[in-house]
Parts: sequence; structure tokens; C-alpha cells
Amino acid sequence: MSKVLESGVPAGTEQGQVGRAVKRLESQAKVTGRAEYIHNLEVPGMLHAKVVRSTIAHARIRGIDTQEAKELPGVYDVITGEDILKVIPDPYYGPAFHDQPILALDKVRHVGEPVAVVLATDVHVADRATDLVEIDYEELEPLFHEVESAKSETTFVHDVIRPAGTFADLKTLQPRAKTNVSMEYHLRNGDLDAAFAKADRVFEHTFRSQQVSHLPLEPIVTLAQLTDTGNLLIHTASQSPSFVRIEVARLLGWPENKVRVRTAYLGGGFGAKLYIKLEALVAALALITQRPVRLSLTMEEQFYTITRHAATVTIRTGVTNDGRIVARDCKTWWNGGAYADIGPRVTQKSGFTAAGPYDIEAVSLDSYAVYTNLPPAGALRGFGIPQLVWAYESQADIIARELGIDPLEFRRKNILRNGRPHATGTVMEDVGTVEVLEELARKMRWDEPFDHGSGPIRRGRGLAIGIKAAVSPTTSVAFVNLYSDGSCGVYCGTVDMGQGSDTAMAQIAADVLGLEAESVRVIHPDTEVTPYDMATLGSRSTFHMGNAVRLAAEDAKRQMVALCAEQTGFAPEALAVQDGGVAAPDGSFFTYGDILARRFGMQAGNVLGVGSYFPYYKKPDATTGMSDHITPYWMVGGSGVEVEVDTETGKVRIVRLVTVGDCGKAINPGIVKRQLSGASFMQMGFTLFEEMVFDEGQVVNASMADYKIPGFWDLPEQNEVSIVEVPHRNGPFGAKGIGETGSLGLSPAVANAVYDAVGVRIYETPLTPERVLRALREQQGRVWGDA
Amino acid sequence: MAELQTIRFRLNGRPVELAVQPYETLVEALRRGFQMYSVRESCGQGLCGCCTVNVDGRAVSGCLYLAVLVDGCDVQTVEGLGTLNQLSPVQEAFVECEGFQCGFCTPGMIMMATQLLQENPDPTDEEIKHYMSGNLCRCAAYPEIIAAVHRAAEKLRAQTAAGNTPATAIMAQR
Amino acid sequence: MNPFQLLQPETLEEALSLLNTDDPSVRPVAGGTALMLMMKSKVFTPHTLVSLQRLKPSLSGIRLDDAGDLHLGPLASLRDVERSPVVAEFTPVITQAMQTLSNVRVRNVATVGGHLAHGDPHMDLPPILMALDARVRISGQAGEREVALPEFLTGYYTTVLNPSELITDVVVPALPNGLSGTYLKYTALSADDWPMCGVAAFVRMQGGVVAEARVAVSAATERPVRLTGVESFLRGRRPAAEAFEEAAELAAAGVHPLADIRGSSGYKREIVKVCVRRALEQALAARTRNGGVAHE
Repeated sequence: MSKVLESGVPAGTEQGQVGRAVKRLESQAKVTGRAEYIHNLEVPGMLHAKVVRSTIAHARIRGIDTQEAKELPGVYDVITGEDILKVIPDPYYGPAFHDQPILALDKVRHVGEPVAVVLATDVHVADRATDLVEIDYEELEPLFHEVESAKSETTFVHDVIRPAGTFADLKTLQPRAKTNVSMEYHLRNGDLDAAFAKADRVFEHTFRSQQVSHLPLEPIVTLAQLTDTGNLLIHTASQSPSFVRIEVARLLGWPENKVRVRTAYLGGGFGAKLYIKLEALVAALALITQRPVRLSLTMEEQFYTITRHAATVTIRTGVTNDGRIVARDCKTWWNGGAYADIGPRVTQKSGFTAAGPYDIEAVSLDSYAVYTNLPPAGALRGFGIPQLVWAYESQADIIARELGIDPLEFRRKNILRNGRPHATGTVMEDVGTVEVLEELARKMRWDEPFDHGSGPIRRGRGLAIGIKAAVSPTTSVAFVNLYSDGSCGVYCGTVDMGQGSDTAMAQIAADVLGLEAESVRVIHPDTEVTPYDMATLGSRSTFHMGNAVRLAAEDAKRQMVALCAEQTGFAPEALAVQDGGVAAPDGSFFTYGDILARRFGMQAGNVLGVGSYFPYYKKPDATTGMSDHITPYWMVGGSGVEVEVDTETGKVRIVRLVTVGDCGKAINPGIVKRQLSGASFMQMGFTLFEEMVFDEGQVVNASMADYKIPGFWDLPEQNEVSIVEVPHRNGPFGAKGIGETGSLGLSPAVANAVYDAVGVRIYETPLTPERVLRALREQQGRVWGDA
Repeated sequence: MAELQTIRFRLNGRPVELAVQPYETLVEALRRGFQMYSVRESCGQGLCGCCTVNVDGRAVSGCLYLAVLVDGCDVQTVEGLGTLNQLSPVQEAFVECEGFQCGFCTPGMIMMATQLLQENPDPTDEEIKHYMSGNLCRCAAYPEIIAAVHRAAEKLRAQTAAGNTPATAIMAQR
Repeated sequence: MNPFQLLQPETLEEALSLLNTDDPSVRPVAGGTALMLMMKSKVFTPHTLVSLQRLKPSLSGIRLDDAGDLHLGPLASLRDVERSPVVAEFTPVITQAMQTLSNVRVRNVATVGGHLAHGDPHMDLPPILMALDARVRISGQAGEREVALPEFLTGYYTTVLNPSELITDVVVPALPNGLSGTYLKYTALSADDWPMCGVAAFVRMQGGVVAEARVAVSAATERPVRLTGVESFLRGRRPAAEAFEEAAELAAAGVHPLADIRGSSGYKREIVKVCVRRALEQALAARTRNGGVAHE
């Protein structure tokens, strides 16, 4: 492990809970199949919901005939958008725009859009009845490509675009009409024309990323019921229970305290279970029927519910002959599908990083969130960054090779260092750009000769580095409760979806309180029990919730020490917390339980520590798009690969994969390592073969039979992960997020390696064998015709 | 609605019976009738392995297997391998090697690994990949799962060396 | 799934009589892996399924007869085939092809008969059996008949089987001495994907020239096909690189792949060319290492 520790940053305490290889707290639960998932929840009297979905990409609804479906024996009811209006008069929801109707009203905007719901006690009956609902459509012209849709002056996905006003950074958005661009972000830093004039060479390329699916193995699922007092209790596989509560309460015009949202372990999230998915619909159904209602999506339905943005990135870069990037102009069109979901935030948050981890004199960035008639796109492990890194790191290699400079040297020359301002104007602090790049070079043995092979199989190597700003502004609140016997519960809204947050939070609390991490219990998100957390997304939890938990634990510790000081007469500063209690200078030791028992005269009471974390942030200037505090911290990830390209089939095989990430401080090194490698393998699927294929808006391959994800045989022969620690001054124990870091650089690293192997450049992911062979044949001037 | 049919079978060693619809799948019946929540339908096409169930000593995809067909059979799920306090050697190995992240695919992985080790007590990486390739992990904990299978194999070999039969070694030792 | 009734006959005669009906929604089901998928997606909504499970004891044998012909019982699971020493001795090509066919759970349940009767061109066994001149024995109420595999598989998901007929045996004639072969499977997406192209190739050498070549292609084509033109071209030739190259060109010219998400028709034709050439090279090399399977 490479490590770059700076002075002045607190490391773990002597108890060493932070940085210790703690096994996941839920290990036994998961290997015995007992771990709780909402997928497993059934309640008495429950109805199953099955959704009738649009078969047309863009159409007006002339009529819906539910009669035959309602008459099928066993069907409880069939619900349409009109029925929803009776309980929710303004049924449009969404985190960035209130644009998504709970069930379609007057129009459908993508294939797979929910139009009606069948309810039955037998899920098979409900499913059968969905085929009996007749929908009469008047077809409209559909728009599928982001660039074409952005230009359209005649066809619009939405008549009016209504901003939600939820996020501080998007508060200034105004309603729009007669456009498919829901939101745009522009950055202007420096005199672009002057800088381009200084350039010896100017390069311009367009890169595209395809639409892909998160595909968590636990299907998206929600169960809603009314409580005895008529309040709503929503059990949902959600990454953002606090947001669900706020949004459902808003839709109903209820106070938040009438909506309770809870979750459990998630069988994978990756961004698919963010903000609000099925919850508004299922809550409305529970209100209409006054019965518990459960909706669990099939794998096919997941493809129509949320996806990752396809994106077109045009990038123009001016360089000097000695390899300095002096100017960059980058335009990005994000294919947001029919509903904005979190796309506008992707547009801005990723948009401002489009110039890459480089120190550039003048930068101009334009980023457009575009509606199309495809399934909605949101955040998927990287919040749009991998699509941008795909462009700028592919182009970095093109430029370096054109200039005759080694690709690593080119990056070294331009890398953005600490103390220098990013394109946004934010000065880089505690960012591991240099450290990650150098570790990558070392791991890849870049300075050693490389055998490119001969014959039909050629070998190549490539690397890439990407940077991501933590999404801001966001808030986390945590409670740390020391119970009457001194045992500890951590109450936090971070959802453990496999990233190991329960374990990390327990380690942080334990470290502060002098406990064993394994003895700490982490209470799962329940808005009636755990305090507010913005969401589990964007690699934010370790930093934000980690800080909140640390502060809450310190608050509890302070109170406990104060009690003990009162009881013993020692000054609080003279007391030390260790081994689950407080040690006094005279050698006496009091467990937390002892202290509480002395306070209350028996085993009773508790000490509740509260921690709240909200990092400073300044939103971008409306004209320049700049801000001197654009993000609380940066993530840096580097990927290096060695590939074999079969020049007869076009097949690319990654034989060696190196993933390097800066995590600030590894709270749990094993989990950090697996987050990095897991993200890297996932990105490998997006790079080599995963792609949602559409025919008139319908997903042709909406199943795991035809949408293939990486399996055992796709593992590279050599897989190496390197953790770099450049501690962050504001991170808990110096830590930063790591969940997406492994995703950032892989796609361009592979394309760069393919070029190194066979001398062809691929501008669009995935790098399927056909795409690679076609490029090879084009180069040779002998492309095949149709057979 | 078709007629219910009562089936009798052994579930994790105990005799049980359940009235099922002819079209009910094994995963549906095991969850509805016996709360065997380790058996999970994800892809619904027998490709991901989350619904892996052992029927008469053979791993099958519970999502593609009609429940009526287990009448008279011996059915095993992860619930029958070990308990929270007494894990089976394969379960222990998955904990030690951290062979999971979100845990949703884990019971299926453990069922397949258990069956593999009964057939082949010392599999190579290649053999593990062949056997497990029908189980998918979206968190991509594949390297750790392979390590866990090797670790489990060591544990089982130690047990058989100590005189346990392979059939008893695979279960949690009580 | 839609409701249906499941009948479980005890004998072949009983099964055939249950199937002898004009109702098109009565279907036999063996392992059911393919049928369950069709029923779950409501592509197929039967009223009655006739389960063949109880016929398994009499129709799942794998054996060699006195003439050395291999008999695969239609209700033998693909896993039975994979693990059969009889099959491995007969040709390791089948044994090894089984290891990459779908997954262990499917192979535990799916049967030889179902695998053939499904008529899916992406299956791995049909091209191998076709190259080995296998025949399918079929029973119906009207009697028995035997059909060679190329005639059995009539098109995309279609076979010569009548709805009231069942496969009762699959016969692979004894292999001539010195026939070595391979099955080459090309996947375009993940490694565990369905094949985009499958090639079974067998060669027999005599006096330094190819005495016999057998080549069958599947997956890229709408049904598995024997490339007889390629076979006759190779006969009598020295197994030089140029000959295999030319044979591969011939193979590609003779197939008409369908475009799908895995590749365009033109690309698939290129892949057929590469796979046929590589399969022939491997089949030749397999003489010294006793057959095999390659996964590209």
C-alpha cells in the first residue's frame, strides 16, 4: 500500500478501530441467508401490484379500458392516473423537476412508462390481468438521440418543464417550455480565444457513451401500508429514505411526521434505488385501497425504470508542441430519457469536471440535460463522470501520441496539483492526483519495455486518470446512543447496500468511544428512528456521515466524561476514554454502565450524542459557472490495463487490471480494496459489452439472457488494487469516499490499450468485438458488407 | 384457477407438505410456504443463481423449477447448511474471505460452492469458474468468492482427514 | 404464469396417448428450463403440460450398443451426458462442450431430448451431434421413425417433430478410427453468453491428406448446418494453412447469418470464417491431445 501522510491530520486513536481489518458486521447474516432485505417482506392482507406499461415511446393516451381486467377473478382493482388524482391532485414527482406523473396522464413519454396498475392478492393473477388492460394511443414523433432532441424545435417531450427547487444548487432554475433541454450548465474561465491562439495544435473529437443498466440483483421493491392512525409506513429498498419521506409528504400535502420510511440491507443499489422510484405510486395505492400494497419489479421492468445516461461529448483542446494543455472547450449532451430524475444534477456536478484533472489556462464547458423518449436516466456509480473521463482521457492519449510524447509524461506535465485552482476556481486541497498517477505508473511498470506480441493476438497497455467532485451541498445527521449498560447504538440514515457502511460507521464510533467495532450496533434507516441523511450516493457517506457519526460519538464521549468528572471530582481533561469506559488519573476505571448507574442509582438512562455535518459550499456563479468552494473534497481514480486484441475477431481481453484510488484514509482497508475492484469490474462490463439496445424506444435486450454482465470468466487473469492515502483535512480521520473511484478511468484505459495494441481508436463504448474489428478493417480498407 | 396440489417433501431434513398451484415455481413455494428467504428470484431466467436450491443432491434454479416436481424429493437451502452461531465450513470461508458485498447472491454462491466441493474436494481456479459461472455477482466479489471456495476446500479436507465423511463435513458441525 | 394443469404419465404409451390431441396448447415437458422461460414471458400459455419426469428411468440411459453406436436417452440430463464415462470414451468433444453449456443448474435439469426438440440454434450439442451423423428416433401413436439430425432441425426453433410425438433415442454411429475433432464456441458479449457462433469440426487423416472432414456451424445461422461443400473441398487435400483458409472462405460464403444484438450479418459471417478455420486447425491438432473444446 502506498501511503502519503501529511502532518496535522488526526490518525486513528491507540484503540485502532479505524484502519483495522474488521469483518463486516453483517457477515453471518449474509452467509446464512438471514440478512434482511425489503425483498423478503410480506405483511398480512397485502395486495400485489403489477404495472401496465406503455408500449409506445411517445403518444397521447386517447383512452384506457380496464373493464376486462377488473372482471378477471381474483383482481382487486385496476388503477389509472385518473384514480391517483383523487388522492394526489398534483401527482408529479422527481428530485430535480416535478415532471414524472405517478401514472401516465394524457401522455406517455417512453416505452415502459407506468400507465395503470392491477392489484390482486395473487401476483400471478395481477400479472395475467395486465394483459387485459387496453390502451388507445395517438402516436407522436419520438426523439431518441440527445443531440437531435436538444436541437428539436417542433417536438417536445414535455410541454412545460417544472423545476422542483429541492436542491440549493438548482434553486435558480426557471420553468421552461418549447425545449427539450431541461437544464444547462456553463463554465467560462479565462480568455479561451487567447489561449487557443497560443496553442500549436488544436484537437477536436466527439466521444459517445451508451445507455446502460444498474441491474442490482435485488429488484427495486416497495411495500406501503397505512398505520392505525392513517399515517403511511413505507418499506422500501431505497438509497434515500429521508428524500422519499420528504417527497411523499410533499405530494400528499402532509407534514413529514405522518410519513415513515424504512429500509433494510439493499441487494445492490449503484444509483438505481435513489431519490424516488416506486414509493409515490405504492403509497398512493395503499391510500386508495387502504390495504398494504407491495410492488416488486421484474428484471425486465428494471430496464425501463432507471438507467445510466448515454452522453455525447465534444472536446476541443489546444496544446503547445511541448505538451502543455493551454485551452479546452468541452460540450456535453446528456441523454436524460423521458424524466429528469437526477439528470440535471449530473449535468452540473459532472459538467464542471469535464476539463479533467489538468491545469489549463482557459476552459469553457457547456453541459446540457436533454429529454428524450427513452427510459429515464439517473446516477450510476460515478454520477456521469465515467462518461466524461471516457472523452478526456481518450483524447489525452490521442494528443500525446500525435505530439510524440509518452501518454504518462503528457499527463504528468499537465496534472492539477494541490494549491492550484481547478477550472471552477476552487483551489485544490489534499487531492491525490499526483500520488494516484505515480502509483499507477509504478504498478503498471510503465517505464519497462512492453511486448506487443505478434500474430493474430496483439497486446497493448493503457492508463487513464479521472477526478470527481463530491456532490454538494449535502447534509448528514447521526445519533450515537450509549445505553444504560454502556453498550452503543449508532443511528444513521446511511443505507448499507454492500459498500460496508455499517462496519465503517461502527469503526468510527468505536474509535472515538474506545469500544470494539464489533460491539457497536448500527441501526438501519427508519425516518421515525434515525435522523436525516441526504442519501447514500456519490461516495458521500464515509465523508459526510462519517463526520456526523464522529461528531455524535464525540458528543456522547464529552457527556460521559463530564458525568464521570462530576462523580469523581477530577477535571474532564484529566480523564481518558478507553476500553468502553473512562480512566481516571488515580488508576480507577469506570465503565459507561458504571457511570450511568451512579448517575441514576440503577441501570438506567442513556447518553445521546448528536452529530450533524454540512460542509461549506458555494454554488457556481450564474454567469461564469465558477465557485471557490465547489466541493468539499475530490476523488481521484486511476486505471491501467494490459489487453490482448484478437485481430481476426476484434475481441478485447483484459489480462491485467490495475485500479488505484485515493481514499484519504482507509477506515477499513479490505472493504476499500473491494469497493475499488468491484467498481472496476462493473465498469469493465460497461466498457466491453453492456449496452441497452433500443428499437423504437423498446429495450430489445431487457433481460439477463441478452444484457450480459461480467461473470467469473470475465475476470482479468491479474487483478491488482492499490490504495493511496492522501488524508483530507476535513475528512473523518482524513477519509474520503471511495465507492465510485474504481469506475472513473477504466473505459479510456481500455481504449488506449487497444490503440497501443492495434493502432485503432474507438470513440464509442462499448468496445464490442464487432466495433473493434470494424475499426481495424476500416483502417485496412476492407470492411465487410451485409451477408 | 387450477387445482391446488398437495406435495410432500423433505425440506432441510424435515418432512413438510404444502398445497401448491401447478404453475407455482419452487422459489415461490419455498418463500410462501416456509419463509426460505435465502432463495431469491432476481433474473427469473435461471442465469443469476440467486434462487439456487438443491433437489435430491442436484443444484437447480428455483425460478425455473415447478414446485409440484419436488413431491417426494429432498430439498435443501442455505438455511439447512448452518446457523448464525454455527456456520458450515463453506459459510465460514465466505466470511473469512469476505466473499460478498451486498449479500443478495451469496446464498446461491454458497449452495453452488457446497455442491462443487462435494463433487470435487480440491478444485482449481479453472474448475471453480466452470462450476460457478452460472452465478452472477453485480458487486463483482468474484476474486474473493474464488478465494473462499479454496479456503472452504481446505477446511473440508481437514475435516475429512479428521474422520468426518464428506457429507457430514459440508454441514455446520454441531 | 398462466394457470395450467400438469399431467404426470408413468409410461411412454400413456404419455403418447395424452399428447394425441388436437389441442395445440398441450405440450410435453421434460427438464422444462426452456419451456418455463416461455411460459413466464407468456410467449407460450399451455392449458396442459405432460411431464415426462416419471419416464426418466426408462429413457435416460447412456450406452454403447454392440455395433459401438452411442445411444443418448432423451431424458438423460445434460449433466448426465457431461459426466458419463461412456460419452467421454466415445468422444471427449461432447464431454467438454457440456462444461460451457449454460450452467450447472440448467445442465442438471435440461435433457438431451428437450435440448434438441427446442430447435434453438444457439444450443451447443446439435452442431456436434450433426457432425457426428447422429439420428433421432421418434415415437408417436402412429409408430416409430428415425430422422437424421439435419432433417430433424428444420429451421429457427422448428423441428420435424409433430406435437404428438416424442424423441425416444438419439443415436450416434460409431466413430471411424482416427477421427479427431473439436467444438469451438464464440461469444460476443460476456464469456458466459450464448454462442454467437459454434463450430464443430472433425477430421480424419490418411497418408498425409484429409481423408474425411466434417464441419457443422450453429448459432450464426438460423439452424445448425453441415457444411458439405467445405467437407468435400477438404477431402484429399494436405492440411496446409492455405487449404483451411480457403475452406473457411467457402464456409463463410455458404452461410447467411441473421443480424441481432450480438452482431451484424456481415460481422457474423467474418466470425464464421475465423471460427471454421480455427476449428479445423484445432481438430487437426486434437489428434495428439484427444479432442477438445475451445472457447473464444
